[in-house]
Amino acid sequence: MTHSIQQPPAVARPDAARQPILRKQPSPWLSAWRSLLRARWPLLAVLSLAALVVVALLSPQLAPADPNRQYLIQRLQPPLSVNEASGGVYWLGSDGLGRDVLSRLIYGSRVSLAVGVAAVLIGGLFGVFLGVTAGYAGGRLDDLIMRLADVQLAFPFILLAIMVLVVLGAGLLNLVIVLAIGQWVTYARIARGETISQKRKDYIESARAIGVGSSRIVGRAILPNILAPLIVIASFNVAGVILSEASLSFLGLGVPPEVPTWGGMLAESRDQLLGGYWWLAVFPGVAIMLTVLSLNILGDWLRDFLDPRLRNR
Amino acid sequence: MRKSIRAGWISAALLLILLVSSACTAVPAAAPAASEAAAEESSAEPARLVVAQSVDVQGLEPSNVNSRAESNIFQHMYATLFEITASGAIVPYLAESYTVSESGMEMTFKLREGLTCHDGEPLTAEDVAYTFQRAADDANGFTGNTAGFVLDAIQYQDARVESDLEVTIVMGRYSSPALGLISEAYIHCKDSYSAMSLEDAAANPIGSGPYRFVEWVKDDYVLLEKTPDFTLREVAYDEIQWKVIPEASTRTAELIAGNVDIITNVPPDQHEAINNSGNAGVTGVAGTRRMYVGFNQRAMFDDSEGGQAIKNTAVRVALQYAVDVPTICKTLLAFECERASSMVNPPNNNTNLVAYPYDPAKAEELLDAAGYPRKEDGTRFDITFMAGRGRYLNDVAVVQALAQYLTDVGLNVDLQVMDWGSEFVPALRAHEVGPLYFVGTGGGTWSAVYDMSDLSAPTAATNYTEWNNAEWFELWDQLSDARDPESEKVITDKMLEVMYNDPPWLFLYFQPDFYGIAGDVNWQPRRDEIVDLTTASPQ
Repeated sequence: MTHSIQQPPAVARPDAARQPILRKQPSPWLSAWRSLLRARWPLLAVLSLAALVVVALLSPQLAPADPNRQYLIQRLQPPLSVNEASGGVYWLGSDGLGRDVLSRLIYGSRVSLAVGVAAVLIGGLFGVFLGVTAGYAGGRLDDLIMRLADVQLAFPFILLAIMVLVVLGAGLLNLVIVLAIGQWVTYARIARGETISQKRKDYIESARAIGVGSSRIVGRAILPNILAPLIVIASFNVAGVILSEASLSFLGLGVPPEVPTWGGMLAESRDQLLGGYWWLAVFPGVAIMLTVLSLNILGDWLRDFLDPRLRNR
Repeated sequence: MRKSIRAGWISAALLLILLVSSACTAVPAAAPAASEAAAEESSAEPARLVVAQSVDVQGLEPSNVNSRAESNIFQHMYATLFEITASGAIVPYLAESYTVSESGMEMTFKLREGLTCHDGEPLTAEDVAYTFQRAADDANGFTGNTAGFVLDAIQYQDARVESDLEVTIVMGRYSSPALGLISEAYIHCKDSYSAMSLEDAAANPIGSGPYRFVEWVKDDYVLLEKTPDFTLREVAYDEIQWKVIPEASTRTAELIAGNVDIITNVPPDQHEAINNSGNAGVTGVAGTRRMYVGFNQRAMFDDSEGGQAIKNTAVRVALQYAVDVPTICKTLLAFECERASSMVNPPNNNTNLVAYPYDPAKAEELLDAAGYPRKEDGTRFDITFMAGRGRYLNDVAVVQALAQYLTDVGLNVDLQVMDWGSEFVPALRAHEVGPLYFVGTGGGTWSAVYDMSDLSAPTAATNYTEWNNAEWFELWDQLSDARDPESEKVITDKMLEVMYNDPPWLFLYFQPDFYGIAGDVNWQPRRDEIVDLTTASPQ
């Protein structure tokens, strides 16, 4: 069985036998779109994530106010209040420094998405490279890379993050690096396992027999066939990384306090929660929850779609 | 997959409910049970008073006390020669009297009879001399209040034993606040401390005060118990426990729940929750801590635009106009303040100096004139602004507001909020915070010179800016010739004028102090932030 997203083998499809043998296969994107249209919740998840991406990209156009503009005398105004200093409306209220919660929420989506995607991309690429190298090369290199992964797995992530951030200093780039460090092991282990499984197959042996080089085998034959599980893991990981970013920002280890992030907004709300200023925690909390939920639903659907055994259930 | 989606939505709904309920709930549900349990236990256990502060002690070395939070604990373990009362009077404590030599450079203290340290060793003049000699010994590397501030400020020379009960402190100059400064040195016994290594001493304090050490669990609490044979104080509680709770909202929740009796630094937005809880209240006092933004002028910042800029007096003056201090006080600190015009607490300040008003247009005009016009991108220069988190009242909000005001007049501020204990304090001690940094330094109402002692020398441990105004330090030297309050006042007023015109600090406010106090505890906070629990008693 192969896992190529580009060219799923016909033998793996249960309905293939009923189709005319020369009939053109639909493109994987079309198949995905059709599958998505049939499933209600994944479609909603995709739409909400697409909306989030649009919001993140168009933050300056969509935000009703400068997210960092403070109006001290307008602090802690409830939702739908009028900012008497600027004349604008605090649709979701103002925070402890009189900043517009909605605008900070909109700009915060940039950080959450950027950090989530960048950390998964960096950690994923690094992990896949090491995993495929370990799986294909085997021997001592395999041992070395996997022991390195074991060492990191034995280390609590938050502790590792605190150590790295204390050494490197807080900041967006360092935050991405820390979160990427936390991700690579997962990808490395999966990529290694899949690579070992693929390299024993006949088509790889055949390629070797006709003199195809290792890098070409890995790049052209193995990688496309191990991508599916990695894509599924990545979709779940983006959600996990967004939560980790929120946790680190909540602990004050994320980005500087003036940079709006959802986790940072939650952290800043702590001192005011006991005073009943609920909007400071609820809106960023809901934003995190909806994003993570959408990513998890999308991950579930991707897993089902990319697995031929589950695709048509 | 449907199952997992359903489970996902249920989890999401539960999370939302949790979020909303945590936002709306003022009193933790466990509060009554905890109170009842505490009440049941109280009959069997010794009376314990629990105080929650934001920071832990860095160690238990009496010569290395660096913060008010630490000295609050140490002053219960260690007695001093004299002590400063809540009203600012300096009254005898271990010593019963003192005399000053004609030169004003020697103070001889006569100790009370029958004093002992907590290990039973008699406390004599030799122990007092040892306390000062040990603190001054460079080999020990102490940088705390005694070594880094008191000894610098009095220009300590030597401590001489005159008799069993008489000891003389020799100073390099006459200093009017010397008695008050010497009253900050925690007296400990020679035999016990000379037998311990520095590491042992920092873990096993042997004190001389009304409470003795029981246990320190790092980042959790310090527990003290009543010293049985201590006769200089009557104390109501058998044990006092100092808990470390960095999070202000957690301190508040613990107070409301009845798990602690007194909390410090209550944020303004939580006053209502405490006052409405029915079992605790907030008491505020006008504090004496001078809050300021320091302009660190060390050469290490010369390669930055901001480091260069703040070396220019005109820039430092211009920035005084950029910040609206009364609005910060009113909105973020819940009190109406008058902006400070100097580093000295009223009534000892120079009343001729008018605090810089908030006038951003003037700030911009002065910055233009100082050679820092706005560039094409609208900024004048980049500058780093460092601050610690969680030490002062609403500190993160205050520094963000300050950064906004400075940004408004064209500074490109890189605000760096650091962990107080592990990052900011070590850098502050090494004079490596800046070029801008936010800090507060404890003051008093009993002496202008005491408040000014932070800047006793260009390289004094507490002169974090390494400000080196020649006129200021010339006048500082003249203070030792002023033997009456009137002539001293003339000099201090002149010095404060010098400081006003060549400010090493961006003057802010004297920080108010808000304490949450359980309803069953009778205790009055002091203006000078000293949390003196010997005056506390059950209602």
